[in-house]
Amino acid sequence: MRSAKWRPYFFVAPAIIVFLVFFIQPIFYMIYLSFHDWNFISPDKTFVGLGNFKDLLSDPMFLEVIRNTLMYTFFTVLFSISLALLMSIWLNKQGWMYSFVQGAVFSPHIISLVSIAMLWMWIMDADYGLLNWVLSLVGLEKVPWLTDPNTALSSLIIIAVWKNIGYFTLIIIAGLQSIPKHLYEAAALDRTPPWRRFAKITFPMLSPSLFFLTIIGILDSIKVFETISIITKGGPLNSTNTLVYYIYENGFIFFKIGYASAAGVILLVILSILTLLYFKVLSKRVHYQ
Amino acid sequence: MKTSLPLKILNVIGLIIMVAIFAMPFIWMISTSLKTLGETMVFPPKWIPDELIWENFISAWNSGPFLQYFMNSVLVSVGILIFQFITVIPAAYAFARYEFRFKNVLFSLVMVTMMIPAQLIFLPVFLNLSDWGLLDTLWGLILPFATSAFGIFMLRQTFKQVPEELLEAARLDNSTDFKIMMKIMVPMAKPTLITLGLFNFITHWNDYFWPLVMTTTESARTLPVGIAQLRQVDGGVAWNILMAGNVILVIPILIIFFFAQRHIIRAFTYTGVK
Amino acid sequence: MAKIQLKNVSKAYGNNKKVIEDMNLDIQDGSFTVLVGPSGCGKSTTLRIIAGLEDVSAGEIWIGDQLVNDVAPGKRGISMVFQNYALYPTMSVRGNIEFGLENMKIPKAERKKMVEEIAEIVDLTEYLDKKPQNLSGGQRQRVALARAMVKKPDVFIFDEPLSNLDAKLRGQMRTELIQLHKRLGTTFIYVTHDQVEAMSMGDEIVILDKGHIMQQAAPMEVYHNPANQFVANFIGTPSMNILSKSMVEEKTGTITDERISYVGFRPEHAAMQVEKLAASGINLSCEIITMETLGSETLYLVNSDAGQFQVKSFQAPLVETKKVDITIPMDKLYYFDTQGNRVFVEDIPFQTPAREVRGEVLV
Repeated sequence: MRSAKWRPYFFVAPAIIVFLVFFIQPIFYMIYLSFHDWNFISPDKTFVGLGNFKDLLSDPMFLEVIRNTLMYTFFTVLFSISLALLMSIWLNKQGWMYSFVQGAVFSPHIISLVSIAMLWMWIMDADYGLLNWVLSLVGLEKVPWLTDPNTALSSLIIIAVWKNIGYFTLIIIAGLQSIPKHLYEAAALDRTPPWRRFAKITFPMLSPSLFFLTIIGILDSIKVFETISIITKGGPLNSTNTLVYYIYENGFIFFKIGYASAAGVILLVILSILTLLYFKVLSKRVHYQ
Repeated sequence: MKTSLPLKILNVIGLIIMVAIFAMPFIWMISTSLKTLGETMVFPPKWIPDELIWENFISAWNSGPFLQYFMNSVLVSVGILIFQFITVIPAAYAFARYEFRFKNVLFSLVMVTMMIPAQLIFLPVFLNLSDWGLLDTLWGLILPFATSAFGIFMLRQTFKQVPEELLEAARLDNSTDFKIMMKIMVPMAKPTLITLGLFNFITHWNDYFWPLVMTTTESARTLPVGIAQLRQVDGGVAWNILMAGNVILVIPILIIFFFAQRHIIRAFTYTGVK
Repeated sequence: MAKIQLKNVSKAYGNNKKVIEDMNLDIQDGSFTVLVGPSGCGKSTTLRIIAGLEDVSAGEIWIGDQLVNDVAPGKRGISMVFQNYALYPTMSVRGNIEFGLENMKIPKAERKKMVEEIAEIVDLTEYLDKKPQNLSGGQRQRVALARAMVKKPDVFIFDEPLSNLDAKLRGQMRTELIQLHKRLGTTFIYVTHDQVEAMSMGDEIVILDKGHIMQQAAPMEVYHNPANQFVANFIGTPSMNILSKSMVEEKTGTITDERISYVGFRPEHAAMQVEKLAASGINLSCEIITMETLGSETLYLVNSDAGQFQVKSFQAPLVETKKVDITIPMDKLYYFDTQGNRVFVEDIPFQTPAREVRGEVLV
């Protein structure tokens, strides 16, 4: 019976060790590095206090990066959720036709971002791309989607929405299906018009799913890297440079480890706030059930 | 609740447009991958190439050490899968079924880790791996994902649902804890394990970010990184070759998706649906 | 085969929630002992302590002449049949029966023989390769039994094994279990909350309440000679009627024994008549409030000036009658003190029965 006492620790140990070594320690290491100046090659790390943070916040490029990240995140989440809401109401039906459409809509979610990025780069090609062809069919001008600073970020948002929407739709459909039928039956007996039915029953009952999607969407968008790295490399004119790509660029191309770490700490703060918010609401939701 | 015929037709047209928006790009990808370079550079674009140029796939495959990339991808995805099963099953079992000191603290650690994306910690991990000589090795791509917080969380839920009586029956049958875990719990959690396996395999098969950051030469590079670098081969962009490469990357996943659609959807929507 | 002893056993969860307090229990070798009591009385905990599924906070558990406090459940020579059968859903019937044998490192050929023998006995041979999900409730029950029997244990433990079966099957399984006990002669410990099951199956009944043993005796002893008000209430349907001393005294005169504060009688012992009865007893004029006809018997809820109580009668139901005269024989009265413990008296403890009341209320 003695060995039984240690068994649970023995069982969780491998996982916990991996977490500590590859997730928890690096967080603290990053915080440590953010207070230092280091170029990765030299043996010395110079302590600079909050110097890196001061530099970051006074760097107009970094402020632009933050602005890009926020814009990208905000619009990606906004469009993903609102379009998915419409689509889910449409697709929330039984039958092979609907499950086929649901599957098709979902498929981009499981495709490598590499392929998605390259595929859309090709589709959004200014000269021979599919998208401009579609525009030409309705008599519109060609758009330099990814090569113009004014449209590049929006183009990336379109790609992200296209990828997200199937996943979002399925989550909302699951939310819709969990709404008890008798609520609608009661509403029908009360002669509730469809719009009111949506506003008073569907939407409030969906709010946990929508909240979840908002948080997941933000967490996912804020760490966008792949499409930027493959398609735009942050350009043109820094117009699509976002936080994670900025960290990558500074760390791996310019070897400004301390500076990149400081940017990482800022990302950490943002993620922590979102996570706390998420768990707070999540725990409330569990309590009420 | 009768719908008029025109409305029905309108509905079907709408659905077709919807499918087109999401499926057309893939068809476009395949179509491009079978064109000559010249055919890619016409406007308006052609949907069906005059002649199917299967050689594009060979060109794509031969434009880099793709066999190695492919093997690396398989080793990394499968390696992660195996490691995760080894670490996740006992941990989930312990969190679901034992009472022990620091259980809550340790489980909070799991939950915290679940919220830490690779994009946050890649820089310090890179520095660590470089100190340990694991850069540019498959270990550097496997070990950080040798366990999965999400997996522990999900499997713990499943294990918790196994009735206590079953375990007691097994204890009265003189079964060891390890045997209870492997012979009773694991078979009962089979659907969850399949779900987890699919989720992890697809995620890591597709992953571009981590292998890009943690490899500097082609020795440990995986397929997505290799495909992404196709672009840099010649000066101009050979879209037909590029798309051929991407077809190679996408097809396995689409095939799995076709056969295990329900499992995969369950795997990817698990957290949201709960 | 083995007798089981619990010596000063206590079980507490957390810091102060005591489920069982200082329990001493002897279960005779070869007996069919039923632990019965309301939910939360500690009967399942007691059972699980014996099986080793729960540790005790204090005290000793003896099986045969071995102290088993630190012996793992699988090594106590105990088989258990669970309320929900607890069959391993991913294993076939054969796998279920074999699992314990495998863990005992019994060679394969022998295992196969044992499984087939037992399957024969419980009539499951043709279902050996089926999964439990594909069996009916009764068949699952038999698989659970087979799994318990195949290990040839010293003690069988049953945790409300029949509560998931429908009434008819339950009756059938009850007799089967009694026969099984006769045939094996092994110690059976059986937990139920159903007093009918307890009375009909056990040769020894242990009645528990709030973690204490209220009485341990043979079924008829428990019925005829309850040790306290709790047992009197718990055993018998409907339960014993209890009247307070003061109410009874109005009818019978002062009760001479000071210890007595409650007087009880069983509903079936109250004689209900529409005409005068000579026998001595407490006579009450009553009004019928409700009546339940159950076929062979009829239950009445009546109101008297000594309070409400129930009467069971085996005569034809009194459909039209509203008022009746009820006599409770003196020798069928039970007496309890303020704590509810039984008070045994030698003589009828009344001063002078108030005879004059009798004549007035006759119909």
